[in-house]
Amino acid sequence: MREIFQYVPGTSLIHRLNPMTKLLLTLLICVAAFLTGNLFVLLGLLLVNLLIGFCAGIARRTLGVFKGLMKIAVFLFLLQVLLTRKGTPVFWIITDEGLYTSAAVVLRLIVVCMPLTLMLAVTRVSDLANAMVQVAHIPYKYAFTITTALRFIPQFLEEMSDIMEAQTARGVAFDKAKGLKKLGMMLPLCAPLLISSVRNTEHTAVAAEVRGFHLRTARSGFRHYPFHGIDVLTLLAGAALIALSAVI
Amino acid sequence: MISFESLSFTYQGGNVPALKDICLTVPDGGFLGVIGPAGAGKTTLARAVSGIVPHAYRGDFYGSVKVHDMDTVDTPLTDLSRCVGMVFQDVDSQIISTMVEDELLYGLENFGVPHAEIPERLDFALDRVGIPELRERAISSLSGGQRQKVAIASVIALRPRVLVLDEPTGELDPVSSRQIFSLLKSLQRDFGTTVIVVEQKIMLLCEFADSLAVMKDGALAYQGQTREVLTHAEELLDLGVNCPRVTRLSRHLSDRLGKPLPVCVNLEEAEKQARELMA
Repeated sequence: MREIFQYVPGTSLIHRLNPMTKLLLTLLICVAAFLTGNLFVLLGLLLVNLLIGFCAGIARRTLGVFKGLMKIAVFLFLLQVLLTRKGTPVFWIITDEGLYTSAAVVLRLIVVCMPLTLMLAVTRVSDLANAMVQVAHIPYKYAFTITTALRFIPQFLEEMSDIMEAQTARGVAFDKAKGLKKLGMMLPLCAPLLISSVRNTEHTAVAAEVRGFHLRTARSGFRHYPFHGIDVLTLLAGAALIALSAVI
Repeated sequence: MISFESLSFTYQGGNVPALKDICLTVPDGGFLGVIGPAGAGKTTLARAVSGIVPHAYRGDFYGSVKVHDMDTVDTPLTDLSRCVGMVFQDVDSQIISTMVEDELLYGLENFGVPHAEIPERLDFALDRVGIPELRERAISSLSGGQRQKVAIASVIALRPRVLVLDEPTGELDPVSSRQIFSLLKSLQRDFGTTVIVVEQKIMLLCEFADSLAVMKDGALAYQGQTREVLTHAEELLDLGVNCPRVTRLSRHLSDRLGKPLPVCVNLEEAEKQARELMA
């Protein structure tokens, strides 16, 4: 969980794509997933996601994300199937249409969530931010907000587990509790966690300011992000996915 | 030159002044060590040099602080930070990037260091701090000590004229702590950098700092040349500042023999003194 948004270093073709290409491809896959209701197209998009993960040499992370999403998907699928009333009953209160739409909904969820995490696994956050500023001319303030939010996730989780360990050491039975009970025990920890995060963000803001935050312009970046032939090809493939989902 | 003129500062919402009537001068290329018990105002003093007090932490500010003829109140924080580099006490919250190399690049890019010069600056900072192998690592995968070194390297890379460090060796082992102090000394020697370091390890300060400022309850209890300050060993102990054992030894000998002896700050000096006395 802690490394879900973390960059996995590598030199694969996917790693070497322009960060903007990766971001656009992610968006294209998401849009394609929303354009289609066809189960086979959605399955195809899922395969594309898995293929991208395998090509980038992050098979383990890809499968990890997939498994994590499957847990949520199963829950959603059951809920959806039991609540859909349209169509002809197949078994008990389950209808054929219920099965079909539920499968489409959960597949869409997986297809939309996967590319985002995969993109962050193959792109340094700073490259993403710099490319957004240099190529797409997004103001640096917004790019900084995104990078900082992503940087805080592992720190936030680390602090949460630190607080829980400290509480366990003082006799709170976090290690024995499970499920809802554990969640109930975690809720009171949100206050200290929030307070410390607000304090941390203030310190980070000062640290950024004394290292020239306000002086940064689109030309400040040391690394440059030119588009190559492979970027164009990737984007064309993305466009083809969109066309395919729109047609079928 | 850095000069404090009757500086007093109370944080917004605070009842007790964090700094009281501080008068202090640090010459260009000087090396000042700041020491004192917890809550003595050391961090606030460091923040006042870098302009973070009063720009980012507001409060009642009386007196003045001048850094190379810039008044810290009138000069915007960004302009001050071109001249003053600061390493904060809290390591985690000063790190902005997710990767080590990006963290070092951040300041270099922002301050407009020519791109041709950047690779050399990166190598310099990483080598001097002793972490060239961490260059491609994710910061979240590093230990506390390694993160502290990254934070120091990211400021060293900027080559500021004034370097302020707030307990830079808090998370470091003795060998790395000494390495960092040697680095600070070499920056002072080679580039004429003015170094101000808040530190609890008195032994390191005695060895590397040219002058010491001892703080207590927001005020300066003692200040002056390192050796001069160390002659107040007994009084310093009352403040909770433990002098190095060799210094206490030479004080003790001086009392026993009933004649003034020079203060020793390291083992070599103490050995020499003992040999001379025995001869």
